[in-house]
Amino acid sequence: MTEQQPSGTDCATALANMFFFLDHELAKADEDEIQRHLADCTPCLRKYDLERTVKTLVARSCTERAPEALRERVLVQIRQVHIEITERPGT
Amino acid sequence: MTDDQKPGAVAVGETPAGSTEPETAEQRTLRFERDALPFLDQLYSAAMRMTRNPADAEDLVQETFAKAYASFHQFKEGTNLKAWLYRILTNTFINSYRKKQREPQPSLAEDVEDWQLARAESHTSSGLKSAEAEALERLPDSDVKEALSKLPEDFRLAVYLADVEGFPYKEIAEIMDTPIGTVMSRLHRGRRQLRSMLTDYARERGMRVDSTSSGAKS
Repeated sequence: MTEQQPSGTDCATALANMFFFLDHELAKADEDEIQRHLADCTPCLRKYDLERTVKTLVARSCTERAPEALRERVLVQIRQVHIEITERPGT
Repeated sequence: MTDDQKPGAVAVGETPAGSTEPETAEQRTLRFERDALPFLDQLYSAAMRMTRNPADAEDLVQETFAKAYASFHQFKEGTNLKAWLYRILTNTFINSYRKKQREPQPSLAEDVEDWQLARAESHTSSGLKSAEAEALERLPDSDVKEALSKLPEDFRLAVYLADVEGFPYKEIAEIMDTPIGTVMSRLHRGRRQLRSMLTDYARERGMRVDSTSSGAKS
């Protein structure tokens, strides 16, 4: 679909750049172009919103807290290595 | 602190070459605990998505921290510690866990330019998206994790690094040791598959995902 929009960015370009836009991988000028297109084009805006939703959803859902036992094991391990290092002759 | 650390040039326990103020092993341990350890939860979250089970995730994280500590003298302070740790995590996962996990990987050619496929999708479902976005937002975290776990490993990792950690493509490419074009392709495909699965989950839960047509594209 290549409906020309007054801004100059057509839908095809907007959709091709959707992930680059959402991931902030576009140059400022290109970002502005897309932004202008989205202001005029509801179908594209909806599509962007949907992908943004998925992106946010992944971020929201994947935060775990490491078990306390793991934290302790890592600390013990570091300190053990540290002791080995400090006990090495000549250091 | 020290500004002339040569990667690989110094052994653990020695003073980095060229430093004016030698860092003692004790100082380095403290610096590691102060700077690297706060990433424990984040690395564990990533490890959970990689290994898909808590026992392996714990082992992977522990091994990652052991390796990171052992080569911490090579890490240049002031550079991106998080990316450095993620690189160790990813390498460790690929070298020791991926092999033993042997998940059946869906075979998907990665060289297709995915944004072209996204373009081809066009506006066929325009006007229905609000309902779909709203439905997805109401999905429980468990559904999102489930869907992620079903993505091919490389796609899953790329999506995770971009969406959860917010790494730029360039850093994801470095972490995964692939060309940037491959990262983009994995991201596009991963997200498309993910969205399709999530939409299915929402539908299975009886949520309204569209108003007229049915069936998400796969």
